[in-house]
This record gives sequence, C-alpha cells and structure tokens, in this order.
Amino acid sequence: MTFEPGLVHTPLTPFSSDRRVDFDVYAKSIDFHVRHGADALAVPMHCGESVSLTDAERRQVITFAVEQAAKRVPVIAHVSDAGTAIAASLAKHAQAAGTAAIVATTPYYWTPPPAMVLEHFCQIGAAVDIPFFVLNAPEDMAGSRINTDFALKLIDKLPNFAGVVDASLDWQFMIELLSDAGRVRPTFSLISGTDLMVSAAAIGAGGQFSALATVAPRLVRGLFDLCRQQKLFEARALQEEIAALRQIVKPGGVAALKTAVRVMGRDFGNPRPPLLPLDAAAEKKLAAEIEALQSLVAEPHGW
Amino acid sequence: MQNKFRGVMQSPVTPLKDDFSLDLPTFERLLDFHVRAGAPAISWPHHKGESLNLTIDERKQFAEAAVKVVAGRVPVTIHVSALAVEDTMALARHAQDIGADGILAITPYFWTPTLEAIEAYFTRLCTSIDLPVLSYNSPSYLAGVEITGALMAHLIEKLPNFVGVKEASFNSEKFLEISRAALALRPNFAMLTGVEFLLPSVPLGGVGSYSAAGSICPNLCTELFDSCVAGEWPRARELQFKMTRLWHLFKDQYPSSLKGGMVIMGRPVGPTRAPLPTATPERQAYIRAQLGDLGILESEPHGW
Repeated sequence: MTFEPGLVHTPLTPFSSDRRVDFDVYAKSIDFHVRHGADALAVPMHCGESVSLTDAERRQVITFAVEQAAKRVPVIAHVSDAGTAIAASLAKHAQAAGTAAIVATTPYYWTPPPAMVLEHFCQIGAAVDIPFFVLNAPEDMAGSRINTDFALKLIDKLPNFAGVVDASLDWQFMIELLSDAGRVRPTFSLISGTDLMVSAAAIGAGGQFSALATVAPRLVRGLFDLCRQQKLFEARALQEEIAALRQIVKPGGVAALKTAVRVMGRDFGNPRPPLLPLDAAAEKKLAAEIEALQSLVAEPHGW
Repeated sequence: MQNKFRGVMQSPVTPLKDDFSLDLPTFERLLDFHVRAGAPAISWPHHKGESLNLTIDERKQFAEAAVKVVAGRVPVTIHVSALAVEDTMALARHAQDIGADGILAITPYFWTPTLEAIEAYFTRLCTSIDLPVLSYNSPSYLAGVEITGALMAHLIEKLPNFVGVKEASFNSEKFLEISRAALALRPNFAMLTGVEFLLPSVPLGGVGSYSAAGSICPNLCTELFDSCVAGEWPRARELQFKMTRLWHLFKDQYPSSLKGGMVIMGRPVGPTRAPLPTATPERQAYIRAQLGDLGILESEPHGW
C-alpha cells in the first residue's frame, strides 16, 4: 500500500482569545496552504498542538480539514495518543472522515517495552486500511525513537505500514532504514519530518513534512522542488536560508512559530495552555529577526 | 585555495604483536598499503587506531614512523586527543617537530566542558603551534559535548590555523549549523564527516571524510567520494548504502571487528588491546560471510 504525499504542510491550529479552536481562521489557513504549494496536509501535528486538543476537537479538526480541502489535496490525520485504543479509535474516525493516510508516533508518557510499542502501532495500523506512517521524533518524545529492526518487525506484521516520517535527522538511521526496509518492501517511503530536506533527499526521502511552510511557503516549495529533481548542490542555498529561519523559531517552539506567522500577517492567536505566548520582549526580538530575513521578502503576507 | 584535507582520508589501525606490543614493520606496510590504494591523506591514531590504549611515548614513536614512511606522498595529520590536555599539548608540539602536516583534536574527554572551556582549549592548542588544526566534533560519544555553529564561527575568526572539522554527529541539523556558519567565514574550511557519510554531507558543503572501512575496501571509498562530488546521486546512494552496511558490521566494538576483517582481506594486524575484545574466529567467519555477500571479496584488494 503506497502513498507518495510529496510536500506536506502541517497547519497550525488557531485559537480565539477564549481558547476555543477558531474554525474561521482554520478555514483560511487550509485555503492558504492549498494555494501556496502544499501537495498534502497533515493535521493536527505537534506544531498544530494536537496534544492540547480534546479527543472531540481532534476529530472535528480532522473532519473539518478534509471538508475544507475539498479534494484539492489529500489530508493525513495525526492520531498519536498515550492509549492504544484511543489512538486506534481516532484512526478509524480519520479514515471514515476521508483522510488519505494516518501518522502516529510512540505512545505519550509511557515507556513500554519494545514488544508493547510494536503492539501499539499494530493496533493503530490495523484499525484502518489506508496507509499508515510512523513518526520518528525523538526530540519531541523525550528521546523515544524507533530503530530499523523495529521497522522491519512492523513491516512483517502490518501490510499498510507505508513508511517513516523522520524527524531524528539521524543519517545512520535513515540510510539503514531505507536500505533494509526497501529490500523487503520496495514501496517503503522515507519522508523528512522537518524542513532540513537536502541530506534526507540525498539518502532517498521523497516527501517532506513542513512546519515552516506556514511562514515561508515559497522557500519551502523551492527547496522541495530542487530536492525532488535531485538538484542537491543547487538546493544548498535555499536549505541554508530555511535553516536560518528554523534556528530563529526553534527555541520558542509553537509560540515562536505563531509569532513568526503573525509577523507575516496571519494571526493564529496564542498557543493553548500549558504553552505560554512569548513575552513582550521575546516577541519584539523575534519579530525583528523575522523582518530582517531577506529570504522572506518574496513570501506572501496576509492570507 | 582548496584545502588539502579532502577526499576519504585513511586513519590506519595500530598493528599489534600477539603480546599486544606495537608491531612496527606491519604498521609501515599498512601505511604504504593505504597510500598505494589511493588515500588522499593519512591520519593517525584515531580511536580506530586505539589511541587511548597507547602510551604517549608509543604515540610519538608511531607518529614519527608515519611521517617517515609516507614521506610526503600525501599529507599526514596526527590525532593528539588524550585524556590529559597537557598530553595533548605535548603531542601537538611533537607533531610539529617531526614534520607532520597538521593535527586533529577532539573536544576534551570526561569533563563535559562548557562552550567557554572548549573555546579556551582550542585557542591554546592553535596558538601553541603553527600547523593547521582540525577539530573533532563527536557529541554522541562525549555526553552531548559539541562545538556549536556559533563557537565554530568564533574560533575561525580568531585562529588562522583552525582549518576544518571532523564532524561525527551524523545529523542533518548539527552538520548544517556548523557548515553554514564556517563556510560563510572561511570558504575552504574542511567540512569532513567522521566516517564515510558522504552522500548526506557533500551536498551541504562536505569535502570528504575519515574512513572506517578503508583498510577493507579502499576502492569503495574512492568510488563513493567520486560519485558524490560528481553529483551522480543514484550511484552514490547505492554505494553509500553498501558502505553503511560495512559501518554497521565494524562499529560494534570498533576496531576489533575491523581488525578481524583485515585478517580475511589478507592483511592481518594482530589483536586489539583490552578493554576492547579481539575478534573471535566465529566473529571472523561472520564477517567473511558478510563481506562475501557485499561482493567486497571480489572488488577489493587482497593482501598487501
């Protein structure tokens, strides 16, 4: 079972001042991504504050995204959870809502033995018959990661296990995974889970999940297209611009991303608790850094 | 001007006799083998050369032998990292005295130094000699201690002989943060990966690597580098995947398995010093099967 998603934008989730999901802004955001280079959308990823949404809200966000995208681009549902049955149930909902694929990372909070992590993924994957991607994001997950042997076991058990979205940035893992998994499942995909695409593309990643596309969709699309054409030397300059943007936003996490995108004229409100918005000084500093980036001059402002 | 440290540079293992003493004749033969097999530079003793299991006197003795045997055919750098920084300083001065072409030094061991302490260390080292200095960044082996892009930029700005890095994080972000900071200030700064991860690094400004497997497969090293520099990505990918299988074969109890593999390639170099094990006959048989499976036994030179 294959699904080559291409460049996947991962929209932020907008909140109103009373902390409710703002679906009017969300609709504008989906349209913005579709118009500015997304081949697919993945909602709600960690940058979309998935973990701060209630189960009902996550279902609603997934359904809303599919309807708003209206078949212009496919939608991938992020269904990670702590409890296996909860995640599997959300996966079922996602398929019923019309998503093209699902993605999930290791269980939150618990540190189960590897056999139970395998069971967790098997139950989530078996709940649907659309492609299932594993998100490998050790920085987000307190170091919890998958290795190649684990992926091979999952291939053996789960026919719809289509690939890994990798945010570990680990060359050894990416090469070993694609080399070994590719031998047993030739359609197996490696997808870059970050905007650091050049090395992943050299190794053989065909897709990319982009959080920075909400700020700089033109830059991200330019980088992705060069990588897809395997113009990797030519891609270096754009990759360095995107890395510079990433380093400005990264320390402040979702709050910084929301500030950066507000500077670009798109207001998603503040992050939900327990995340705090940047304080006034940090917001001013970040806004000045974003405004100083020459690479963003050609990027769209406003919706 | 192109930096002279580029390509897949070879760091020989340290041949030992059965009583674990240094085997100088075999070391000389090995150095000569690497140069004849196409090494663009030689560097000794890396961790693969059991650097930390050698006395300082032994390191000086073989460093002299390396410079003498290579005899200017390719550049020779000496790895001077030692547990005591005072020993590192002495090895660096010694390298200069014997006519080496440069030194390589890792961030200090054990103490998890701060960025300020790392800066002071490289400043002292670089100003104590006139030779080019290559730094060595290995956060996963040193409890997260690393040279950040900002520190690298700062060192480049103040130290004219700070010319490159052996980057061993094997991580897209860590490599890129160093490369974009360093190359903006010193375009010929040598961005080298710790072992042969050329495919993901060359597109980002990498100009080569040190070698894990070069004593087994020198031809593969050369072909992989050439295909990356030429931008022949499908070919480079195939060779990189093969090289990475070898890395996984050898990195366990590095360099014990490598020395075991050298027996199979007709270039025996003796045991490995404790606390590292010596590859057993069973391990050697496993390595032989793997090398056969990868086609290495046919495509690479056998014997000296």
